[in-house]
Amino acid sequence: MSSEATQLFEKQKKTKNIITYAVIFLIFVVALWLSTKSEGPSKFPKVVTDQFTFTAWVNEGEDFLKKNYRWMTKIIAGYIKEGYYFVEDFLLDSPWLLIAAIIILPCLIAGGLRLGLYSGFVIYFWGATGMWEPSLQTLGLMGLSVLMCVFFGVMLGVFCSQSNRFENFMKPILDTMQVMPAFVYLFPALFFFGIGGAPAILATMIYSMPPIIRLTNTGIRQVSEQTIESATSFGSNRLQLLFKIKIPMALPSIMMGINQVIMMALALVVLACFIGAEGIGGQVWQAIRKLDVGWAMEGGLCILFMAIMLDRFSMSFSKTETPLPQNVQKFYLLPQNWEKYQIARILEKPLSILHFLVSYICIKVTDFISYIFEFLVSIINKNTAKEIGDLISKRYYVIPSFIIFFIISFIDSNMISIGSFPEEWRLSIRQPISTTVDNIAVNPGFIAFTKGLRGFVYLNLLRPLDIFLTFTPYWYTMGVFVAIGYFTVGIRFAFITALLLLFIGACGIWTQAMITLSSVLVSVALCFAIGVPLGIIASYSERFKNIQNVVLDAMQTLPYFCYLIPVLMFFGGGIVSAVLATVIYSIPPIIRLTSLGLTQVSGSYSEVSKSFGGTLLQTLNKVKFPLAVPSLVIGFNQTVIMAFAMQIVTPLIGGKGLGLEVFNGLARSDTGRGLAAGIGIVLLAIIIDRISLAWTKKQRVALGLVKN
Amino acid sequence: MKISKKISALLLSLVLLVGSLGQANAKRLHAAIADWTGGIITCEVAVAILEDELGYKVKQTVFPSGTGLWEAIAAGELDFACESWPSYAEADDVMFNEDLIYDGKVVKSYKGDGTVDLLGTTGIIGMSDYWIPRYAAEELGIKTWRDLNKHKAKFATIETGGKGRLIGCPVAGWNCHDQKRLDLLGIDFQADELGTEAAAIAEAKAAYMRKEPFLLYLWSPHWFFGEFDMVGVQLPEYKTCEGDTFTEANNWKTCGTKGWPATGWDKDYTMNYGNPATFADPKHAKAKAFFEKMKLSNQDQANMLVQVDIKKRDVKEVVAEWKANNPDKWKSWLE
Repeated sequence: MSSEATQLFEKQKKTKNIITYAVIFLIFVVALWLSTKSEGPSKFPKVVTDQFTFTAWVNEGEDFLKKNYRWMTKIIAGYIKEGYYFVEDFLLDSPWLLIAAIIILPCLIAGGLRLGLYSGFVIYFWGATGMWEPSLQTLGLMGLSVLMCVFFGVMLGVFCSQSNRFENFMKPILDTMQVMPAFVYLFPALFFFGIGGAPAILATMIYSMPPIIRLTNTGIRQVSEQTIESATSFGSNRLQLLFKIKIPMALPSIMMGINQVIMMALALVVLACFIGAEGIGGQVWQAIRKLDVGWAMEGGLCILFMAIMLDRFSMSFSKTETPLPQNVQKFYLLPQNWEKYQIARILEKPLSILHFLVSYICIKVTDFISYIFEFLVSIINKNTAKEIGDLISKRYYVIPSFIIFFIISFIDSNMISIGSFPEEWRLSIRQPISTTVDNIAVNPGFIAFTKGLRGFVYLNLLRPLDIFLTFTPYWYTMGVFVAIGYFTVGIRFAFITALLLLFIGACGIWTQAMITLSSVLVSVALCFAIGVPLGIIASYSERFKNIQNVVLDAMQTLPYFCYLIPVLMFFGGGIVSAVLATVIYSIPPIIRLTSLGLTQVSGSYSEVSKSFGGTLLQTLNKVKFPLAVPSLVIGFNQTVIMAFAMQIVTPLIGGKGLGLEVFNGLARSDTGRGLAAGIGIVLLAIIIDRISLAWTKKQRVALGLVKN
Repeated sequence: MKISKKISALLLSLVLLVGSLGQANAKRLHAAIADWTGGIITCEVAVAILEDELGYKVKQTVFPSGTGLWEAIAAGELDFACESWPSYAEADDVMFNEDLIYDGKVVKSYKGDGTVDLLGTTGIIGMSDYWIPRYAAEELGIKTWRDLNKHKAKFATIETGGKGRLIGCPVAGWNCHDQKRLDLLGIDFQADELGTEAAAIAEAKAAYMRKEPFLLYLWSPHWFFGEFDMVGVQLPEYKTCEGDTFTEANNWKTCGTKGWPATGWDKDYTMNYGNPATFADPKHAKAKAFFEKMKLSNQDQANMLVQVDIKKRDVKEVVAEWKANNPDKWKSWLE
């Protein structure tokens, strides 16, 4: 390209940019003018909202279903409930040592000494904080839901992988399942499935099944052509191909799905306390009502530790160990790369001996048992006897574990009753946490700061945006959204956007939707303002990044109930607190993806920039940021979705908008009202998600990262 | 592979069996744990007596109050719930078909469809009002709700603009209609519904510590009055309009209904309620008789509230202590 052409191109681009900005500015000015002209919040024409009685339809439908199909759902619920009560009674009535052994031994076997010790600590923490029963209830509830999720999820995933039509049919359903606020279906579930375990398990399934369906499907579809071809050439039919080749090869992917299911189920099981499911959720909820930060934190930590344990446990199945060279001593507790230090080797020595001893005993015991079985069966059939003997002797960890379980329950039922977790091991961390938070809450300097922040966020961000969005006539806002949809995605999406927004308006929740939108926008703006600098620092300093990652992990696993109280104590109830809680919840992705995007920009680009004499800021501004934009937008995208998801929780501390509408509907057992508002949240999230995704794609194409 | 799986399954189920054998076959009831500490204490008193004296095993489930709870009880998902406040319930008129008796007198007759059983009064008489801290009342000279408008600027926050702010009834499901009440009484305040009792109390506590004026909706007995000195604004006394059929046309201003609150709240004779089928069963006759006689006093609940909410003690522990120290009180409920 000659230099003239480049200049011309640049010029054109510039004028195009100016026009775009001018148009945006014009649209904004018109909106501002319209909003100042209108007298009150813009409302949809009464004719439409009166005709479109979605709420009434839903309620009638619900009544119809309740009258005619409740017997059916009750039977299903009965089965689930029985299963759950069985597990719950077993967990709660068994001696605590048995439960501890049932949890610790598998961790020890699957994850080695480190995970074993960690699970021991987790068990101790549950008992010591007095959360023994709730923790086990949560664990039981979650275990059962995960089991059912895996069963149905893998089945549906296999179906999806076999039929394109079925896959296309499932896709939108899976999307809705993931974005729909759980509160919306939690309460109708109550009336069909009763309270407690059954509806909680079903709601958890709805929420956490999508990943395993998706991952099973992609895992099976990713099995390479060659493998399939060679299998078919050996004459396997379709079913054989599926069960002998495809599913086993998709196992790692399925395992990842299980891992995600566990994490998501844990998040929902906490929420399920609202429909009477017992467990830690109920504890945290009670703690919130009493403003007891320490109590809530204890509950939160119980969940957090449980999540880490289950995560590592399920991960350990998909991890394969690399064999160490002969002359290297295997480390069981310390990091393997410390092997070069003499002291570490000495410290590890007893562990090696212990490991050797334990496995020696286990193998001997198992051999003995296998010998007995072999002998017993050989009276009937010699061949089967050999097989059984082999099978038992191979499981030289599982069999001794069962023996330990037996011994414990035998001792408990026949000699000394072990009972529940010993009271004298109690160790409460409630008081210190509460005192710390109280001290911060009365600190005048800090309160002045929070008051200032509250005032700033409310006066300068929330209120103007609230008024602007609610006062701007609905047809104008809709028009702007449709136009954005048209220019970023296309005519079809513009049409869909119009329909979705019409639905929101016709349900009579336009004002609330705009309030929600403004809360989300302010939260996301704050996330950006705080998250991007943190991400930049993290991209430069490895140590900062490591610390930050731990904090972010904790933030994402801790039930969001836990940090509601400190926010309340520091900022008081209200919309500002709601926004701040949303920021805390939804900031992790933007921090992570900023730092990821910036570190991913390959070194050579910044080298080139540096060699041309670019300063640090210039490099960041002109080279790194533009290249990191796609990653940033994904972060933005996730943050927006999470902010929308949080809208359903913020009414607990004074949030307004659609979330409150959902609560109001539920409190009056008006499912239609709650559902309409819930769908409203989903639709807004979908619109913004699609637009930002399409925009990223355009950016990527423009940067030449992806071909159009 | 298959055989080994079967063996493990067999072993596991054996272990499970051994574990579940220890379970006793007690009489079971399923109760809801309320939303607020007062309700929790009342229920805990009932549960303690059912368990210790009548040999029950009561399963308790945290359940937010509201119409959902009533429906859950009607459907038999839960057996009973404690301390319903008639002013706040909307379902009681529809679902009770019984008289509420307090001290031998009929306080209110319900004419609903009887899908929920009125088990009897709890003994607690609740009062709701709007409250201001004493320092603010004395400094500004506020004696009744009529004085509020003069000082509304003092009660305003950045969120309310020119209006004063009421830290309103926190939970949507309680049907308080605060804003409507304020509008009907002509009080130029904005009611903020903060979502949870905790949110409202956190804000009020912080304001009290800073000695700022604030207007707070609250019910008594409540621990807040034990720790902070509050004065009620004495809303006009509750009065029902004849016929109870409100239309926009006969715009009542001096009388009201639950949904059209032009006055203060009625005295709340709180009650326990349960599933009719459960309590019609002869095997629960003793429990039913107990519920009919139960009568906890406001003072007792208030004392326990302080122990639980201010001293942060365990509810069960506090109730057990009360039960040990006041045998004369609860023994009469079992005669």
